[in-house]
Amino acid sequence: MARLNIGADDLVDNPTPRVPVSLCLDTSSSMSGSPIQELVRGVNLFYDAIDEDDDAHDSAEINIVEFNSSAGLVHDFASIERLQRISSLAASGTTAMGAGVNLALDTLETRKATYSGSGVLYYQPWLVLMTDGAPTDNIDTAVMRVVDMVEAKKLTVFPIGIGSGADMKTLARFSPNRPPLRLDGLKFKEFFEWLSRSVARVSRSTPGDTVKLDLEGLAGWAEL
Amino acid sequence: MSSPVVLLDPVEFLQPNRRLFIDTNVFMDTEPRRAGGLKRLFERGQTTILANNNPIVVPTKVVGELTKQSQIDPSGESEERAQAIKKAGAALTFLKSASRVGLVRKDLGDDTNPYADDLFLQLFERFAGTYEMCLLTHDITIKLRIRLLAHRLAKRLLVGVLTKDGDLEVDTDDSLFDRGHRKYARHAARVADGTGNFKDESEVAALKPLLDEFGKIFGLKTSAVKLGPRTTRSSAPSPSTARWPAATPAAPVNPFSARARLKPSDTPLAFSALPSEGERVEWASADKTGTLVLGALLGEGGEGTVYDGDRSTVVKIFDRDHLTRHRKEKIELLVGRNLRAKGLCIPTAVVRNSAGEFVGYVMPKASGREFQRTIFNKRKFEREFPTWKKTDLVDICISFLEKVQYLHSMNVILGDINPKNLMVDEKKNVFIIDADSWQLEGYPCPVGTPMFTSPAMLGKAYSDDLRAMEDELFAVATMLFMIVMTGQFPYIRTGTDGDMVQLIKEGNFAFQYENRNNKDQPEGDWKYMWSHIHKPVKDLFWHSFHREGKRYKKRPTATEWLEAFKAYKSYLRNGRMCFDPMSNDVYPIRNKAFKQDAPIQDCPTCGRKDAIAGIWNDDNEEYFVPRQCNKCRDQQPAPLSTARPPSTTRTAASRPTSQPTATCKDCHTSFPTAQLKYGRCPACTTKANTLDPNRLCTDCRQPFITYDHIAWFTAKYLDIPKSHSAIKQVCPAAGRPTPSPTAKSRSQSQPGFWTRLWKWFAGN
Repeated sequence: MARLNIGADDLVDNPTPRVPVSLCLDTSSSMSGSPIQELVRGVNLFYDAIDEDDDAHDSAEINIVEFNSSAGLVHDFASIERLQRISSLAASGTTAMGAGVNLALDTLETRKATYSGSGVLYYQPWLVLMTDGAPTDNIDTAVMRVVDMVEAKKLTVFPIGIGSGADMKTLARFSPNRPPLRLDGLKFKEFFEWLSRSVARVSRSTPGDTVKLDLEGLAGWAEL
Repeated sequence: MSSPVVLLDPVEFLQPNRRLFIDTNVFMDTEPRRAGGLKRLFERGQTTILANNNPIVVPTKVVGELTKQSQIDPSGESEERAQAIKKAGAALTFLKSASRVGLVRKDLGDDTNPYADDLFLQLFERFAGTYEMCLLTHDITIKLRIRLLAHRLAKRLLVGVLTKDGDLEVDTDDSLFDRGHRKYARHAARVADGTGNFKDESEVAALKPLLDEFGKIFGLKTSAVKLGPRTTRSSAPSPSTARWPAATPAAPVNPFSARARLKPSDTPLAFSALPSEGERVEWASADKTGTLVLGALLGEGGEGTVYDGDRSTVVKIFDRDHLTRHRKEKIELLVGRNLRAKGLCIPTAVVRNSAGEFVGYVMPKASGREFQRTIFNKRKFEREFPTWKKTDLVDICISFLEKVQYLHSMNVILGDINPKNLMVDEKKNVFIIDADSWQLEGYPCPVGTPMFTSPAMLGKAYSDDLRAMEDELFAVATMLFMIVMTGQFPYIRTGTDGDMVQLIKEGNFAFQYENRNNKDQPEGDWKYMWSHIHKPVKDLFWHSFHREGKRYKKRPTATEWLEAFKAYKSYLRNGRMCFDPMSNDVYPIRNKAFKQDAPIQDCPTCGRKDAIAGIWNDDNEEYFVPRQCNKCRDQQPAPLSTARPPSTTRTAASRPTSQPTATCKDCHTSFPTAQLKYGRCPACTTKANTLDPNRLCTDCRQPFITYDHIAWFTAKYLDIPKSHSAIKQVCPAAGRPTPSPTAKSRSQSQPGFWTRLWKWFAGN
């Protein structure tokens, strides 16, 4: 109880508009070995970079949803000060991408409702979808939800393919505005550095502003 | 030339078929030429008043205005003003005793009529057929109005002032017309040079048609009017001697044009090379030229790069996208005008590259750090300035406003006011940077920040049009609110979808104000911060931000804000006025204490100082003192309303003293459940059921709608009904007076103003 209350104070005492970012990560068996290790390292680096940026520090709120044979929440949204770095993620099972994206969208909706209910300003949320394969469940509902939200400017989505096995055609369905990007090798570090810079850039803007993404910076990690 | 005034004996207006009224300004008159006039009037009229039982009328509204004036802290005011304030206090004492002996009536006209001026006009119009009436006032506008009214109705209605001997001095038509024009010229000059406030603008708007009509009716010509200083004494500056309030330089600087038209669109400038660190550049100020070497790179912004100049200056070199004709011409204008004021980083010299092309400018170095990185967030604020109190934030507002006021007097509009181009140092000095984006002489400010953009500007391209002063004043009001509230946005409320443009456009300012119940206040301690803000500043905020506010479309000027914040500062220093020790906290944890006698205690659980204040309970007329502070209460398990784990219930039951509490839905304070009615605490229940005294039924001119009912309409974005019949209630004017269906307000228990007035005129 006490913990929850402290969490709530933290939420409402900070007048900085928030950027909720949901990391929706593939942890199926094909990710095992160096991909999952690099991914964990990249995520922790992302947290550190957000922590060090004076603007992003107060605005970014991050959660992690993983999907393998089913979808699950690794940790819920929290400000960077409360986030523990993740020690490891286990890779196993199939690729329930539809369930993963749906869960990520649900958590974003819940978080927005919390902001709205407490009187906290926010930017439209970000969804980062990373996979090295093809979905093993039905993704139609998830695709429809994402596309609707992107078109209504209620979501910014970053579909990222990992390695040559990633099904870019499926990822393209999640990204109506720009083609999905394929990670160059295992350049998770470069990707997450870019992502933290982009979050920082948004947190220096005002909600409602159009923020240009640093497209030149993509070259550091994406195969173009 | 005939004498400009006519002298009459005021005692004639104390005859039974006549009435005499006095306006506020007569009691506060400090003109030595007229000293003692009021006293003489009463001496001369005493017998007649008592014989006819016809006391002089000083309406309740006037008494109210005097009361308000007498409460102003005179320290820091001009000597003349301080004397007037003192006079207001003395007048109150005098009126009290004069009314006791039947010389004065001050029970007419309650607060239901918001304007004393309108009240006099209504009275005169309504009773012109019954009585000859006379009003003593110094206000030229109302004099003109009543003179016109008398002409229209062909009745004897007089307006004048008293001489030293208590004679009634009435202006001739020419003299009144002449004085009206001079008053108009004074206000119009202030509006024209940008130093005008709301009052100046409304006087100009009112006087213009009034004088036209006056001239036509009385066959007077404007040409006869000489626009010189007043013959008697001048308290307001005449147009030729208008002063720029802050930081007036020794040699006066001419302001920029107030009426320049929008320049044609901006175009890029050609250049051969942009200099960088270590390169030599040429500079040219208003009267000197020279060269300098660009020092260390200090920062890269959205428009260019800033390098170290010398000890007190920096150099901004624009990047290719921002090297434009508008910027060049604007900077040349600023440099040429040689404006100097502390804290304003105004270009002092134009900078050219080795090819002689314009590439940037020199400006004074700012100290301190951006608002965004220091005071606009609790975590940063407590890290940067851990010892600061509310009064320090008020000082920052004052420092900011002095600079804005100066720029406005120069007809410069800052345009993109935002927390990244305002800096503050540890001595509370504010610095304004980004002068090259300012709007002046028809060059627009091409950038903006949505959070500080007025509803009228939202959705337009910033560079397409000139900003109006109203747009600027929206940004000023928002910035002041966000300084006092350390970064909170005025339109924050619960139930938003994050769309800031929508929040600004809808104008639903959600912080609790007077008896309005707004359920959309944000969670957290913001409501407590808001609660402790000095009332006059709070009033200005509410009226500026709420779409129903009186200043929503006529926003307060920098000068008005400056006065309000200076008063806030002296309020915080005055222990008697500012009785709640928590009011000087930047982050108070409870609402401001209700009154001076409210008990204030430390929290027995956590020991926080002054953390508990008694909450007034109207029903049993005493203070309810919570057992714990709000912070400790919030740490407790929530009230057992939904799920109740058996173990908790048992523990709670075993505690002998705890009684079940719940939160009042309006004020969010915790109360014993037994005291709540329909989820409201006793005080809020009373408030909700009280009729709003400021809203009168259009038929019977009586208060008719409760705050609760108003809140219902407001929450649904509906217009507030204007009469009893519109809310399906019986209007007393319809002939069937019925008791109010809800609780009665105090003013309801007396017969209405007009009823009492009728009775009085009828001699009952």
